[in-house]
Amino acid sequence: MTQHILEAVIWCLAAGLLAGLVLLVRQRRLTAALRRRLTALEDTLRARDAEAAHLVEARLSFLAQAHQQPVPVPGLLDPRLAATAYGRSLQQVQDLFTQAVDTARARADQSARATLKAAMRALQALANEQQLSISDMQDRHDSPEVLQDLLEIDHANAQFGRRAQAIAVLCGSWPGRQRVASPLIDVVRGATSRIRDYRRVEVHSRVDMDVVSRAVEPVVLAVAELLDNAARHSQPNTTVEVSIQPAHHGVCVVIDDAGVGMDSREAEEAGRRLSGREDIDINRLGDPPQFGFAVIGVLAARYGFTVSVDTRSPYGGVRAVLFLPHELLNRVRAPKTAIPPETEPSPEPLPAPAPAPAPAPVSVPAAAPRADHTSGAPEARPGPEKEPAPVTAQASTTGGLPKRRRRAAAQDHAAGDQAAAAAPPPGAGHTPARPAAETATRMGAFARGTRYGRAASQDDEGNPQG
Amino acid sequence: MSPPHRRERGLVRPYVVTDGRAHPTRNTLDLVTLVTAASGRPLSGLSPEKRRVMELCRGGALSVAEVAGHLALAISVTKVLLSDLIDSGHISTRPPIPRAQLPDDQLLQEVLDGLRSRL
Repeated sequence: MTQHILEAVIWCLAAGLLAGLVLLVRQRRLTAALRRRLTALEDTLRARDAEAAHLVEARLSFLAQAHQQPVPVPGLLDPRLAATAYGRSLQQVQDLFTQAVDTARARADQSARATLKAAMRALQALANEQQLSISDMQDRHDSPEVLQDLLEIDHANAQFGRRAQAIAVLCGSWPGRQRVASPLIDVVRGATSRIRDYRRVEVHSRVDMDVVSRAVEPVVLAVAELLDNAARHSQPNTTVEVSIQPAHHGVCVVIDDAGVGMDSREAEEAGRRLSGREDIDINRLGDPPQFGFAVIGVLAARYGFTVSVDTRSPYGGVRAVLFLPHELLNRVRAPKTAIPPETEPSPEPLPAPAPAPAPAPVSVPAAAPRADHTSGAPEARPGPEKEPAPVTAQASTTGGLPKRRRRAAAQDHAAGDQAAAAAPPPGAGHTPARPAAETATRMGAFARGTRYGRAASQDDEGNPQG
Repeated sequence: MSPPHRRERGLVRPYVVTDGRAHPTRNTLDLVTLVTAASGRPLSGLSPEKRRVMELCRGGALSVAEVAGHLALAISVTKVLLSDLIDSGHISTRPPIPRAQLPDDQLLQEVLDGLRSRL
């Protein structure tokens, strides 16, 4: 009996032991699995923490600091996270952040622009006003000392006005100042007026073209910025050469400096700004801000001229080329005979009399510009400066009377005129070559001049000028 | 270079025109001094304003005031230009015509009458 009991106990114990063993083994396996799982989870957690830290420290701050829009933002540290909900959330955070940064930036840019624009417009207006009063003072004061000071003030004022104007343009304003169509050479010299080292600029022109009215101010501003760059980046003892050259589709203003030049990176940057295609953020023009190229880019894009600075000047510096297409130019009046004798003094006066012999054809084209001339400026005597060598060379018998002869004693002159009055009119007098009104103005001017001279000489009689 | 009425005042500032100088090289010019162009001087190398002066004076004597008016420049600035031109021999000056040398009124009147009768 007892043996049975013992046996049963032993069996029970054995079975219990077995069960215990099995449980133990299972438990151990379970624990190991759990431990593994735990490690894996811990790893993931750590990875996510690191990822979140990376997002804050690297990716978002990179985005916030990025100065150019299209930059590659660093990706996830652990690419396995990309497919998870967590990864997607991170991406969303990043996108939202980018958006917020962009909006904030745009808003800041806009308000900075608006503020600057308003401020600069006010300054511009003041500078213009001041320029007018300086001009008035220059007219009023005859003393060279006063004039010297006025010239300096004028110069400073012109530079000041240009700065204000440039910033205003960059902020989306118009260049202001409506001008009449002006000769290209005057436009370039107008630009020269607005830079500090204007004495170093030498302008050579072979082109007699007008810049159309709407483009005058923008071109002046663009050329001024180019000249300013050229002068500032070259030695003070060097000159800045400007040449105006005809091209097939327009005219080129070529500006050469003997300065330090630009390296390829700068040139590329400049090219991008000059293209005008780049959206300019005025908060990112550097410190101190570099307005020049950005302003030119804006103007070039708006008015349709092009500027490039990527060539090297023969003097070692930069060669800037501003190309003006024909749309922005007017060819200067065709029958202008005054120009050739100036540029080519010796050969031109000879061919000039050749077309002259027939009086009527000559006097008609000559009369045409004079007609609009008088209409534009009903000033006393438009004649003398319009009719250069040919007529004086031709002497007395040409169609019109009142051509004043150089230096001829007044009596001879008048007598000659009378003789001329007797002779030619039967031939030429019928043709309405010289409008009566004009002849009258001329004679009026002559008479007025005489009276004026007489009055002045009386004044001066006792008080010789010195 | 271009007729005066096309000239935009204020585009080219006077200090560029005179190259920063305000003192004429001579002090002999006044408002009514007459200026005449000397013939045969080459015009190359002259600034546009000086060319314009030469163009204006080619037709006869002009007073300094008239030149300034045509150039749309201040008188004092014009004097600087004219002094330069005198120095380079491009123009000559003379004091305003004294009374004795002037044509008498009658002659002028005759010219005027003659013209009127023809036109």
